[in-house]
Parts: sequence; structure tokens; C-alpha cells
Amino acid sequence: MMVLPLGILWFGAVVLAVLDGTRPKNALLSVAIMGAALLSTIVLGIDVYRHGTREMVVGGWERGVGISLRIDTLGIIFAVLSLAVLFAALVYETAIGVKARIFPALVLFMGVGLTGIFFTGDAFNFYVFFEIAMISAYVLASYGETPRQFRAAFTFTVVNLLGSTLFLIAMAALYHTTGRLDMIGIKAQVPLVAESPVILISTLVFVAFGVKLGLFPFHFWLPAVYTGTRPSVAAIFSGALANIGSYGLLRFGADLLPRELEQGAPVLIVLGAVSIIYGGVQSIARRSANEVLAYSSIGQVGYIMIALAIGGEAGYFAAILYAVINGLNKTLLFLSVSMRGWLVGVAFAIGAFSVAGVPPAAGFLGKLAMFRAAIEDESWSIVALIFAGGALSLLYMFQLYRRRFWIEDEDGEDAGTLPQVIVVVMAVGVLMIGVWPQPLLELTDQAVLELLDVPGSTP
Amino acid sequence: MTLILSLCVAVLFGAGAYLMLKRDLIRLIIGMALIGNAANLFIMAAGLTTGEAPIYPLEEDTADPLVQAMTLTAIVISFAVTALVLGLAYRVYVSHLSVDIRELSQAEEEQAGRDDMTDQPDPEELGAETDDPETTGSNGHSPREVTRR
Repeated sequence: MMVLPLGILWFGAVVLAVLDGTRPKNALLSVAIMGAALLSTIVLGIDVYRHGTREMVVGGWERGVGISLRIDTLGIIFAVLSLAVLFAALVYETAIGVKARIFPALVLFMGVGLTGIFFTGDAFNFYVFFEIAMISAYVLASYGETPRQFRAAFTFTVVNLLGSTLFLIAMAALYHTTGRLDMIGIKAQVPLVAESPVILISTLVFVAFGVKLGLFPFHFWLPAVYTGTRPSVAAIFSGALANIGSYGLLRFGADLLPRELEQGAPVLIVLGAVSIIYGGVQSIARRSANEVLAYSSIGQVGYIMIALAIGGEAGYFAAILYAVINGLNKTLLFLSVSMRGWLVGVAFAIGAFSVAGVPPAAGFLGKLAMFRAAIEDESWSIVALIFAGGALSLLYMFQLYRRRFWIEDEDGEDAGTLPQVIVVVMAVGVLMIGVWPQPLLELTDQAVLELLDVPGSTP
Repeated sequence: MTLILSLCVAVLFGAGAYLMLKRDLIRLIIGMALIGNAANLFIMAAGLTTGEAPIYPLEEDTADPLVQAMTLTAIVISFAVTALVLGLAYRVYVSHLSVDIRELSQAEEEQAGRDDMTDQPDPEELGAETDDPETTGSNGHSPREVTRR
């Protein structure tokens, strides 16, 4: 049961790797596989929500010897989000016609990597799945095969490879200092070992995930990749791949190294604030739609950083909620911005409202949680910053909306019905979360309780 | 032994970082491979114990097998990624006829200039093979942008 989503994706990816993905039949097969994996993850999620964290040691080894899978609410939230984003992007690409034979298989492989990251209970295994997801991303970055995409893909690969290497070094150092690789063991050992090496390790981990997220000083690869690429790949990168960064920081920061996260809080706040302002101002200055959205992603990451830095129940709650909603928003926006038509315009507007944090779109919840966390922390400068960031995002989103959907353009590419249906469904989803947020809020709440090890959090 | 290993890691990492600052994509890739190998050595150094081979049934002192397994995995991954990056570099070379970073960033700037002038995706972006960047918006204005203004 626990390995079902991984198994479905893995076998599906291997089968599709030898098939020609440009044929509609095979693309549909990949959609079906992704759908099955998504469904099984949701079923697993309901199970985890009802009965608490599930654990399993692969290969029937003893506990502590074999590699363990460990699925808690935090992992499930991110797994469902990522697979849903991948599913939407895959359906979108299938609807407009897959251009490269390897594309469906790559998306499935990325699904394997992401699900594995969210389900693993082992630090080194985390690295392995991380690389599986990243390698598919390196290839996906050049999907479309124009000179510009090769340039962007090369930069992307080099920068992220360095990030991965730093993460690998951090894991080796973590093993050396704590003597453990399973996350529970590391968590138990970290408070007992000397502080200074762990701070170094935490810095390395932070840099590695900062690169993935496109946080301010590590953001330079992001606009080039998002601007040159196709809508579905941009959606995958911002909606699914960036989750590695937010999940990784939550898992390694909030869960495994909470003391170091607290010590690093001032750095996170400064970098987050710079990200918000820099991303917002750059988005206003840019004209091309993808570039605006790319810089907007840099800005939105800043909120997650600040929420993490505030910490505590309210802070982690805001961080998880914001990461999830941001992933949905960006997928919706990247997919809809390349299309035309009033229906797409409405969907885009909902996404824009959501990024700006206007009710009833889902983004309002994220902003609300941020405000709550900042007010509980009594840091009024952060409240002002969130407000300013929201104003900036409202400005650039509607600048973009005006340019894309108000100015009549007779030769705008007319999308087919199915892509339009996808973005409308996503927009309705974003609205639904805003109108009926209870399930998501409860899930997030439970994830936070598990992160903080509140007794009785797992019924 | 720890000293020797840490010196090796330092030299490898330093050489890799130096190569990564070069203008040539191939040198950059070699630098990346060196840094990857520095990381592999670092993992080995993280569990540096001397002893018998860890074959069941275990004797008194055995070497830590876990780091070796991890290094092996890391080597495989870095090998695959290096191959991939070399492939990418080849495609960059085929599409630009250059692996010099200065020329590539010049192409990037021209692209950015065209982006600023028009928010429409240009032919290159839409998948048309345009080897000559001058074909679109040679003076910085695409025809559509002019009519809009």
C-alpha cells in the first residue's frame, strides 16, 4: 500500500521510456499512470490522516538496518500537490501535443523522485530521490530544443548540480557527526553532538534548498529557465520541483535541525525580505509574461522563508500553507498565460487574485496565515513587509493581466478546448480552497503538530 | 590518513572551483566532475574506519560499509549527470557553434533585448529553428509592437 504510488510511477516511467511519447496513445497512457498514482496517493493520504504516520522498512530488513519509508502528513500534502501539478501539466501537454518522445516518461520519473523525497525516512535516500527528480528536470529544462532553452538548461544544470553536491556533502557530514542516516535517529542525535559542525551542515542544506527554491542570492538561474521554456515545463518547475526546496527546508530545518533553524532565523528573514522586494520590483519592471511570473516566484519564496524564520506553530503553519497555495497558483498562471480567450482570462484573473492574496481566492488564506504568524510574533516590520509585498504583487499581476487579456490581439494563439478546461478546473480548485479551506487547514494543522512532536498529534 | 584525505578533498574541490570559473563550458564540466569527486572522497572520509571487510559473520573490527555503499551510489549518480551535462554542452555547441561563455551570454542579452521590446513569444521560442538571431526584430522593434504603439 505504501509503495503503491512509487511503484506505479516507477514501472510506468520505465515502460514509457522505451515508447514514443509523441504518439497520442502513449501520452494518454502516461496520463492514466499519473492519474492512478495521484489517486493512490490520495487514498494513502486519507489513511495517514486517519491512522497517523506510517512506516515501513524496505526489503524486510530490521529497523535501523534497512532503508525506511516514512509517510507523515507533511509528506502527503506535498506529494499530493506535486502529483496534481504534474498531472495537470501532463494533461495540458498531451492536449496540445507532446513534442518530444521522452517527455511523458520524464514527467513520470520526476513524479518518482518527488514522491520518493516526500515519503523517505532516510537522509541519503532523500539525496538519491532528489537526484532522480533533478535529472528529469535537467532534461525537461531543454524541452522544446531551441538554442535559448539549451543555454538555460545548461545554466540550470550546472547551478543545481552544485547545489546537489553541497547537499551530498552535508549528508555525509551529518552521518559523520551523528552516526545515523535515518531521520528519526538524526533528530534524536543532533541535540547531543557539538553545535558548530551542525551549524555548518545546516548552512549547506540551506544553500542547497535555496538554490532549488530560487531564493534571492541563488535565484539567477530561474528567470532564464522559466522565460525560455514551454508553459507546461514552467508549471512543473514552479509547482512541483520547487516543492523540494520548501519541503526540504521544512523537513531538515523545522523537523531535524530546529535549533539551527532558530539560530539562522535573522538570515532567513533578511533574505526573505530581500526576495520579496526584489521579486516584486523586478516583476513590475518586466514585460514578457513568463519573466514576470518567474520573478514573482522569487518573491513568493520570500514569504515561505519568513514564515519558516518566525517558526513555532503559527510560522510553520503559514510556511506549509503558503508553499502549497503558491505551487497551485503558479501552475495555474504559467499554464493560462500562454493561452487566449475570455475563459482563460477569468482563470488567469483568479490566479492573479490568489497571488495578490485577495479573497475568496486561496492565496488569501496564505497571506492570512502569514499575517497571523507575524502578529503572534509581534514583529510589525514583517507585517508591513507582507503588506507591501501584497501590494506589489497586485500591481504586477494586473499589469500582466491588462497586457495579456485586455489588449485585443487578433493573432493570439487560440488554444483548444481541453487546455482551457484544465486551467478552468485548476482555477475552480484554487477558488474552492479559498471558499472551503477546512480540509487543507486541518491537514496543515496536523502536519505542524507532527513537526513539533506535540503528543497526541497522531490519533 | 584523515589528513591525507582532507588534503585530497581540498585540492580536488579547489581545482574544481577554479575550473568552474573558466569561460569554456568543457572546463566548467570538468570542474564540476572534480567537485563531484571531492564530494565522493568526503563521504569516504566521513566514515573512515580501519578493519576487516564487513562480511557476515562479523569479526571484531570491521570497516564501515555504509560509506562505501553511499559513495558507490554517489559515483553512479555523478557519472550519469556528467554524461548528461556533456550531452547538453554538445547541443549548446551545435546550436551556437561555440562553447565560450562570453558568446553565449551575448546571445542571451540579445534575446533579453528582444523580450523587452515585445511581450509576445518570438519565433525562436515557439520552436522555429532560427539560427540567425537577426531575423526577428533586427532593430529591436518587431512589426507588431510598432503598430500597437
